[in-house]
Order: sequence, then structure tokens, then C-alpha cells
Amino acid sequence: MIGNYFRKMTGTTQSPPRVGLAEILWSWLGAFLGIGTVAYLNYGWLDQTGLFLLIGSLGASAVLIYGAVKSPLAQPRNFLGGHVISALIGVTAFKLLAPHLWLAATLAVAFSIAVMHATKTLHPPGGATALIAVISGPQVTNLGYLYALMPVAAGVLIMLAVALLVNNLAPHRRYPEFWW
Amino acid sequence: MADYPEKPETGPTPGMEIKEEDILEAMRAIPGYLDITPGDFKEVYRLAFAHALERLSRAVTAAEIMTTDVVAVRPDTPVAEVAAAMGRRGVSGVPVVDAGHKVVGVISEKDFLSRIGVKDAKNFMSLVAGCLKTKGCVALPIKVALAGDLMSSPAVTVAPDTPVRAIAALLNDRGINRAPVTDPAGRLLGLVSRADIVKATMVRGSS
Repeated sequence: MIGNYFRKMTGTTQSPPRVGLAEILWSWLGAFLGIGTVAYLNYGWLDQTGLFLLIGSLGASAVLIYGAVKSPLAQPRNFLGGHVISALIGVTAFKLLAPHLWLAATLAVAFSIAVMHATKTLHPPGGATALIAVISGPQVTNLGYLYALMPVAAGVLIMLAVALLVNNLAPHRRYPEFWW
Repeated sequence: MADYPEKPETGPTPGMEIKEEDILEAMRAIPGYLDITPGDFKEVYRLAFAHALERLSRAVTAAEIMTTDVVAVRPDTPVAEVAAAMGRRGVSGVPVVDAGHKVVGVISEKDFLSRIGVKDAKNFMSLVAGCLKTKGCVALPIKVALAGDLMSSPAVTVAPDTPVRAIAALLNDRGINRAPVTDPAGRLLGLVSRADIVKATMVRGSS
């Protein structure tokens, strides 16, 4: 019983193979253009207005939607749904539980995973989106539920548009596998 | 992944066993990053393959492979006649039906053997052994018995639309060699024996 429990920690299989050079370059290009667009809008245009578009979890999403385009986790349903749902949960957690930020942060992430599972929108960066809603201070928390629209949904839609344009340029790529 | 981590090394068809190297080779042939480990893929493959086999065998039902030319006896048929009929037809078991043609039991060689004192291994050689140790015929104790006294009842029956795979599992689980096929009212339609299942498998395999 105990032996079996520890044996499960040894792993049973091996890492998937390394991708080819072309794949690596396409992933690089997708991230460059996707994050580049959002970052340029953020720093070049929005900074003066006090608004923002670039949040950390979009960097995590770039790994999936430009680097693992076949993954179910990287499909539009998961990408958009996972971020928006997690953003709403993160804001709710802050509103209900501040100033107990440790509890708000904890429940924001735990509930985000649970609800993403239940709605078939599991997208790992969503957990970060929920966390950011709690831990980022007044610049984010003052937005309230608008956080889910801007920066979250807006940033996601820009990156999604880049994913559609760039991934489908690559001869061996197609995106998405499914929309909804 | 219920059997994790002790995954069975052979699936339902050992000849079709897939190796992780095969999966890694296939993954290399597909450009792009696949978000699955070779181990998980193997598990998916194993279950999908079993599912496909199950679906294919589900297509064939009892009605398609059953023997319809069946000798049935009545509960009040003397066992001497039952034995004679089984011998004449070369079968090792017959269904017992009532006046309304409803199946009320099955009589097989095993029922004879167990009633004439063959205790443990109910087979012909046990009977021979018992015979050689006694003076008279070992079947004498049941000379006056009727089919109804000897039969196994209630009979294990199947419906016409029961899949062959389920019948095979049923025969195996119950340790029996045949199952009467009955309509919803319990009336006899035919009989599926182990031989019928073997025959059906051969026909499908060669087609």
C-alpha cells in the first residue's frame, strides 16, 4: 500500500520527443508577434492613459497557443474561456475576502481550476489571471469586474487573432483544432 | 488509469501490443508538439482498441448464430428418453420446456453425472472410474427419474439480441456450455452453444 504510493512517484513513461527546428522557429515567431502586439499597444498607446493590456498570464498563454498549438489546453474555447472565467473568480475572491489576501489568492486559484474543469475550459494561465486579480494592488483591483474585459479579454482576443494568422501560415500547423 | 501504476503489459490482444518506442516514432513523424506522454497515448490506444473489438463483436447477436433445430424435452420426459435423445443427436445438453414452450430448465451431461454419484470432476472419465469401482451400472439410481428431477433450473437464458461477446462471457462465468435463446415471454427460440460461438468466429475471421 505505502510501497505502491511511493512507487507512483517514480514515473512510468518518458518525455515526448524534441520538436524540429522549424517548429521551434514558428513558436518563436508566434510569441514574438503575439506578445509584441499586446506589449506595443500597452507601452506605446495605453501607458499614457493609465490603462493597460499586458498581464503576466499572457506570457504563459503564449507558450500554449504558439508553442503547443495542438494541445486541447491551447484551443480558443480554453484560451478565452479559461482567462475570462478565472478573471471573474479572481475579482470575486478579492471583493469578498480582502484584506485577507492570502485566503483570496488561495481560493481564487483553487476555484478557477475547478470551474475551468467543469466548463471544459482548462487553460493553465487562467490560474495566473485569477491570482493577478488578487495580488496586483490598486491598479488592478480598482478595475473591479472590468478586469475580465480589459486587460484580460482584450489581450486574449489580440493574441488569438495573431495565433490564427501566424499558426496557419506554417505548412505543418493548423489552428485551431476546435473552436468551441 | 484505474489500474495505475500496475498497467497490464498485454492488452486484450497480445499480438497487437504496442510499444512505447512505436509511439515515440509516430510522435516524431508528426510535426508539432503533442501534449501527451507516450505512456498516456499507450493507455488511450489500449482502451480504444479494446473498445473497437467490443464494438465489432457487439454487431453479432445470439439470433444470428443460434441453432434453431433444437431438441427440447418436457419436465415429465423420463431421463432414459432424454439420454437417448441426447445420444441420438450427439448433443451434451437439451433445454426443458413446459406445455407453453417456455424454458424451465436445461439438462446436460453434468446433471446426469452429478446425480449418479460423480462428485468432484463432473466428466466422463470420473464416471468411468466410478463405474469400474462398483458392481452394477452407476446410472441405475436415476432409472425412474424424470427430466424435471434432473434439470438445472432456472435455466441461464439469453435474448435474441444479446451480443455474442456477452454470451461467451456468460458461458465462461457460469461454467456452462450452452444457453437457450428465449423471447421476452421465455419461450424457446433456439440454442447457442460454445460450438456455435467458435463457428461464428471462424466465419467472421475468414471473411
